[in-house]
Amino acid sequence: MRVAIEYLRRKRWSPYVAGSLLGVTTVLAIVLSQQLLGSSGAFENLVGLIEKTISPKLVDNFYFKFVMAPGVSWQVYLAVGLLLGAFVSARLSGDFRWRVLPDKQWREVFGTSVAKRWVIVFFSAILLEFGAGLAGGCTSGLAISGGIAMAPSAFIFVGAAFATGIPLSLLLYRGKGV
Amino acid sequence: MATYVFPILIGFLFGWSLQKAGLSHYDKIVNVFRMKDLAVLKFMMSAMVVGAVGVYVLVGLGWVTIPDVRATYLLGNIVGGLVFGVGMSLAGLCPGTMLAGAGQGSLDYLIPGTLGFLTGASLFAHTYEKIFNKIVTVANYGNVTIFGWFDLNKWLTISVFAVFVLLLFYFLEKSKLGAGAPDDLSR
Repeated sequence: MRVAIEYLRRKRWSPYVAGSLLGVTTVLAIVLSQQLLGSSGAFENLVGLIEKTISPKLVDNFYFKFVMAPGVSWQVYLAVGLLLGAFVSARLSGDFRWRVLPDKQWREVFGTSVAKRWVIVFFSAILLEFGAGLAGGCTSGLAISGGIAMAPSAFIFVGAAFATGIPLSLLLYRGKGV
Repeated sequence: MATYVFPILIGFLFGWSLQKAGLSHYDKIVNVFRMKDLAVLKFMMSAMVVGAVGVYVLVGLGWVTIPDVRATYLLGNIVGGLVFGVGMSLAGLCPGTMLAGAGQGSLDYLIPGTLGFLTGASLFAHTYEKIFNKIVTVANYGNVTIFGWFDLNKWLTISVFAVFVLLLFYFLEKSKLGAGAPDDLSR
């Protein structure tokens, strides 16, 4: 019992153990809810809801009518659970802290400007959500959820993300001593 | 119950596993692209193998059906992935890990992250007919699986995939390639 609690409070788990837990979770999602995991979809449902509140005219289009309905969907509840799970994990291990910048490595390369970090995150998030939309899902919704079904798209997507991710990060870190 | 208890419970495990693997931190995500720390890859491939075996065993038993096999339409999968990779390596997060980062108190994830994802979602929705509907028709193979596409045996394909991943893990652990810096386990 004590060993189990100690393990739950550990700051890091082996990626093999944590990844296997996510694998079991994907199976659980299918068994309990007939759903696949995904994170980018929640933002589509939510922005639809926001736009509908501002003006119903904004959601009077093909996408919000036939593809992703505005509203508090299964994916939105999943996102709420995701936040909670990460919060409890971080609280128990002492990894929870209010931060405005990532720890260490980011600061050594990009400096300590909060504005710079927040602007980069904002524009990157736009690219991430738009890219996930084009591809048919994100790391969870396409790579993992497609991967467990052995869909070629999952592996093609991961390959493409690495094809830009690797050269760009090598370029950003060129000549930096980290 | 099924409307919100199940997804919140499932999401909880999802967020827990991301946070425990450290993927809610900028370094972990970026260092996979720099080949310095392959935790992201190890995490994803573990999830895929466990999930694939689990799901297909249950499908074989006739207990579940796969809700959706993600569609393969080459141009969209590739261009989307290329754009996604740019954002992921710049910010060191993706939609799921952004939420996990927000849960651990990272305000740079919670505030500009959420606003950016909502903006991107709106942009995608309002350009859907003009952009997505055109791209999706190029080289569209529908909801195929690898074994269906190439007419392979289902269990052989899954077994080969699982064995390949396990051998890769064995090689990575033996060679210490992409092992990353030791994790800070202090509390």
